[in-house]
Amino acid sequence: MSRDTLSRPAPAARQRPRRASRTEARNARAAACFVLPFFALFGLCFLAPIGYAVHQSLRRTERTGPLGLGGQEHDVFAGLANYAHALADDRFLTGFGRVLLFGAVQIPLMIVLATALALLLESASARGVTFFRSAFFLPYGVPGVIASILWGFLYVPGISPLVKIADVAGWDVDFLARGTVLWSIANIVTWQFTGYTMLVLIAQLKSVPEELYEAARIDGANAWQVARHVKLPLIRPALVLTTVFSIIGTLQLFAEPMVLRPLASSIDSGFTPNLHAYSEAFVGNNQHVAAAEAVLLALVACVLSFGFLRLVGRRGEDRG
Amino acid sequence: MTSNDTHRRAVLGTAAAVAAGWALTGCGDGGRDAPREREKGQRINLTFWSWVPGIDKPVGLWNRTHPEVQVTVEKVSAVNGQQYAKMHAAIKAGNPPDLGQIEFPVVPGFLLDNGLLDLAPLGAARHKNKFSGWQWQQSVFGKGIYAIPQASGPMGLFVRQDLFDRWDVGIPRTWDDYEAAAEAVRKKGAWIETFAPTNGNRFAGLCWQAGAEWYAHDGDTWIVHIDDEPSRKVADYWESLVRRKLVKTIPDRQNAWYKDLQTGAIAAWVGASWGDALLIGNAPGTKGGWRAAPLPQWQAGGQAYANWGGSTTAVFAKASYPKDALDFAVWLNTDPESIALLIDGGYGFPSAKKGYATGDLDLDKDFFGGQAYSKVFADAGAHVDTSWRWGPGVDTLYQRLGDAFTEALGDGGSFRSVLKKVQGQTVSDLKGKGLKVESGG
Repeated sequence: MSRDTLSRPAPAARQRPRRASRTEARNARAAACFVLPFFALFGLCFLAPIGYAVHQSLRRTERTGPLGLGGQEHDVFAGLANYAHALADDRFLTGFGRVLLFGAVQIPLMIVLATALALLLESASARGVTFFRSAFFLPYGVPGVIASILWGFLYVPGISPLVKIADVAGWDVDFLARGTVLWSIANIVTWQFTGYTMLVLIAQLKSVPEELYEAARIDGANAWQVARHVKLPLIRPALVLTTVFSIIGTLQLFAEPMVLRPLASSIDSGFTPNLHAYSEAFVGNNQHVAAAEAVLLALVACVLSFGFLRLVGRRGEDRG
Repeated sequence: MTSNDTHRRAVLGTAAAVAAGWALTGCGDGGRDAPREREKGQRINLTFWSWVPGIDKPVGLWNRTHPEVQVTVEKVSAVNGQQYAKMHAAIKAGNPPDLGQIEFPVVPGFLLDNGLLDLAPLGAARHKNKFSGWQWQQSVFGKGIYAIPQASGPMGLFVRQDLFDRWDVGIPRTWDDYEAAAEAVRKKGAWIETFAPTNGNRFAGLCWQAGAEWYAHDGDTWIVHIDDEPSRKVADYWESLVRRKLVKTIPDRQNAWYKDLQTGAIAAWVGASWGDALLIGNAPGTKGGWRAAPLPQWQAGGQAYANWGGSTTAVFAKASYPKDALDFAVWLNTDPESIALLIDGGYGFPSAKKGYATGDLDLDKDFFGGQAYSKVFADAGAHVDTSWRWGPGVDTLYQRLGDAFTEALGDGGSFRSVLKKVQGQTVSDLKGKGLKVESGG
């Protein structure tokens, strides 16, 4: 649009068009200067690694030499063999099933918790708002690895005060057993990210004009009705956004099981798809298979995120 | 060394410029592809990745006595095999260090990666007789010599003698005794041990003791033999202990396990010679109570032993000055002073034949009630079945074993089925790496 206005020469002056086109060129250059770094970084940090991963996923290594050791090795085109290998690995697929189950439980739980906290802290009668907001947000400042080590100490029998207390109460708990360890990890993730999600929701709540609440109150709405019929619909975009973040984060689950793995015999090397890809790449030294798994993981993340967006988008239209 | 370099030196003249010239050559030849030879009087620097706690001391000694070849130690984490992940990644990325600390079992895995330099053309064979024969053989494949052995880990049994005495339980001499002791200890409310499902390393050692041979080769073909009769015997034995709840199944060498050692909830450990440092460091309150005993035998009066761990100093394929790297690796593992410093670090039994006495290996006799406990491991080391060989992909094998044992513990599958499964997986893993493989009968 701006281009059109600029390039339309004023008919009166003959000098003007040339000057205008010079301005146009200068503007284009300036725009390029602003845009290029973005595309350079985008290409370097986003497109190039994806391209490399796809490239790696389509190759395999061939070896020569006595016993296959110490000889020549070269990469050859492998077609979709690595993808077939990954998809034939039942532990890889089990890992997917596990994180999907994890997400189906943990994401709604965390979103509900975060929404409740956000609404409570933003309600008119809340006291000590700044303190509680920071306190709830604090766990997000703890890196995932550290959080996992910390919780690890609270889970390991023999060291954990929680297990000891439960034991005294006659309750035999094992946070790291096969059936419970996934939910122990869910607890860590919820502890870490509820505050963060809450803050995103609060930011959106803050942008709601005060007049809306006033109008609702004048209409006789109580606090619950304001929250239910005014606040919740208005923070819907933030809810959608944080849910998409959580879906992607869930699929990438890695640090928590990685850190807890040595402590718990119940976490195997393919506990989550990311852990499986890591094991393939750095224990099995099969970078090509790992690349295929990473690409598959990215595809699933894409499908689920956009699928979710479409789902909530359509429902929004129905309602509107 | 080349005329090009000489020419450049002539032109540049000053010492500083020479250094710059070498740096340029380093950049110019595309990732140090051409191995170089040090010129007389030239100072070089080698990097060495290791995780051994006391390694700085012998390296410091080398640096003081060898001013021209300085070695920089870079510590790498040894948790969960992260050091090997890092080394493999560095090899892949083309910037590995000059030297690295690598355990016996993973040497073939690094060869598969073309990560290690064949030291034979550099004349490594002349050092062969300085080392214990079978350990030297652990890194010999075909005509190639791929690492200098540093230490081994003969296996034995650590026991809380004070607790066993109080409970009137004898030190087990056979695996039958061990089972009976496990029952007796359990009746006193404690546990004899843990069967750590993810510790493939120790399980391999126990199979080794029973006479298993997991890897062999015939011509260019690898023969994998994990599901063999001796291994089945070991699997059945431990499965029975686990099912009867005579042993725990928590991971070993982790916080919960250390806590159990500290409190006496676990009263024994089938470990290796280097385990003394772990006990001394992590259960200081139990000082004086421990003794070392020979590994329980399958047959009364038998002398079958095995090895758990043990490592080498390897020179990476792209080492900048291979000859100097080899000299350092040999010095580190044969020089008496260096060995003395390594022993202080508690890293295991030296692979070198000479230069130390068994008594030197006793880190803290008082911890073991005054027992000259290293003698027990020295005897075990002398009777290790030396025909055991490792094959490629042992990291993956351990992981497969760990996953399968974890699963078996969870869903009640048999330990025999673990062996069967891992046998099949290992064959297909090696095939996937482009090797010729057969399943042993």
